[in-house]
Amino acid sequence: MTARRFWRIYSGYLFLVPYAVLFCAFLALPLGYGLVLSFFRWEMLSPAPPQFVGVDNYAEAFQSDYFRNALWATFRFTLMAAPLTVGMALLIALGVNAVSDKRRAFYRAAYFAPAVVSISVAGLVWRFFFQGEFGMFNAWLEPWGWRVPWLTDTRLAMKSIVFMTLWWTVGGPMVVLLAGLHQIPRQLYEAAAIDGANAWRRFRHITIPQLRPVLLFVAIMNIIGSFQVFGQVFMITRGGPEQSTRVLVQYIYETAFTHYRMGYGAAMSWLLFLCIAFFSVLQFRLMRER
Amino acid sequence: MTGTPKWIRLLIEALVLAGALLILAPVAIMAFTSLKPDAEIIHFESVLPQQATLDNYREILLNPEEIPLLRWLFNSLFISVSVTMLVLVVDTMAAYALTRLRLPGAKVVFAVIIAMLMVPGQIMLVPMYLILNALGWLDTALALIVPAGAGVFGVFLLRQFFLGIPADLEDAAAIDGCTRMGILVRIIVPLAKPALATLAIFTFMGAWNDFMGPLVFLDNVDKYTLPVGIALFQTSYYAEYGITLAAACLATTPALLVFVFFQRYIIEGIALTGLKE
Repeated sequence: MTARRFWRIYSGYLFLVPYAVLFCAFLALPLGYGLVLSFFRWEMLSPAPPQFVGVDNYAEAFQSDYFRNALWATFRFTLMAAPLTVGMALLIALGVNAVSDKRRAFYRAAYFAPAVVSISVAGLVWRFFFQGEFGMFNAWLEPWGWRVPWLTDTRLAMKSIVFMTLWWTVGGPMVVLLAGLHQIPRQLYEAAAIDGANAWRRFRHITIPQLRPVLLFVAIMNIIGSFQVFGQVFMITRGGPEQSTRVLVQYIYETAFTHYRMGYGAAMSWLLFLCIAFFSVLQFRLMRER
Repeated sequence: MTGTPKWIRLLIEALVLAGALLILAPVAIMAFTSLKPDAEIIHFESVLPQQATLDNYREILLNPEEIPLLRWLFNSLFISVSVTMLVLVVDTMAAYALTRLRLPGAKVVFAVIIAMLMVPGQIMLVPMYLILNALGWLDTALALIVPAGAGVFGVFLLRQFFLGIPADLEDAAAIDGCTRMGILVRIIVPLAKPALATLAIFTFMGAWNDFMGPLVFLDNVDKYTLPVGIALFQTSYYAEYGITLAAACLATTPALLVFVFFQRYIIEGIALTGLKE
């Protein structure tokens, strides 16, 4: 191949260079570096140089009550938040879809609006709602003589976080599901109506099967997102009471950026990645099927 | 839906409306409470302030040393605008190379990029911190701007859009002696405006609301972005909810305004992610 010909074919790659550099430096490199790091003991606060320790960091994680507690808190959060959010999103999408075209855009925007509030603002506002003594919720309940320990009861705190998360995140999946509902051919419903199928049967035998791919997409994305929960916990409970809401990302954050144990933090990050990767692969397969 | 009795349709819309008001209520309550004097917040009477006052706002805006809110606003704007411009330029060029230039191996390159869609950013926090430390970028805006250019989503989104542009236009331009860069700037970019607008707004909102990045990579309070600055209120103004919520209002207004004006792009962009394969 002459140099000229080579240039003509491959020079187009020059357009890719700026992105490729960033991709390698800030995606590929950290991914690999994180894995390497996870096999080292690296305490930034001590003068000792990083030392290779094999799988010690992983072993430490599995033996640590803190890690197990954080893993369990993350699972608990995901098990509550994901089905609730996707279920509510579906319900809202069905409702909004039934409204006439003119007003649909308004409702869609209204339900999505909380998603554009940054998590620190949302966290401050909800901490005020949940506050035990003069918080909004308890002020409303006071006339009935109730005072609910929203954030101070170990059994209730995570549920409060889930409730706040539902408010903050339900808009995204709702919008996707609404678009999915829009893609279902009208003729299917018309044919079913002629055949005398009632509303429930139309929902059960047309809406659900037609919506299935979108519903699965939304559910898996939500599970992946839930595993990474951090901001709301950090802002509202800081992991308390008694660590009942201390999730994995918070534990990683504290390990790496409060105690500066980089190797251990990287190892736990990879364990979190493995949890998420399972669902990501599932997602990838479903996408290819389509 | 056809064939549903009118009263059922009205009932459904009533429920939808009630839900919408309910979901908007926290934002409204935040705004109302920020206008209350402290005494009214501690002894709750009603959602609406009895004696509305701007004292909370005054206290924030007159204390720029203690609460550098405008500084944070500027930092947030600077970082979000820079990230958006970087992403637009870099991703447009990459997506163009991968779709329109018939490069050998482009499919493989794209597959590698797409695989990264599945890797959540949170798990790279620790190595990223060390890389930025080595570069000397910690506690500077660079730490939040440059790595954001590596995001995969934009390349994915633009590629989907570029694939749909007919090749005839480019061929005609090439015959007329237009360079590849000229074709990209004069033909592809104008045609791809809707996709670029969606990507721009998405990127801007993402950078604006990013919490973890600035929390970990910034140290100096003067360098903070709005979300992280606002988070300080959780500890510094622990029981002063009036000031806290006033700051929350000030921090939310820009994002809400962007949303109100561009909500169609944002929402349709989100809907797109779930439907296009």
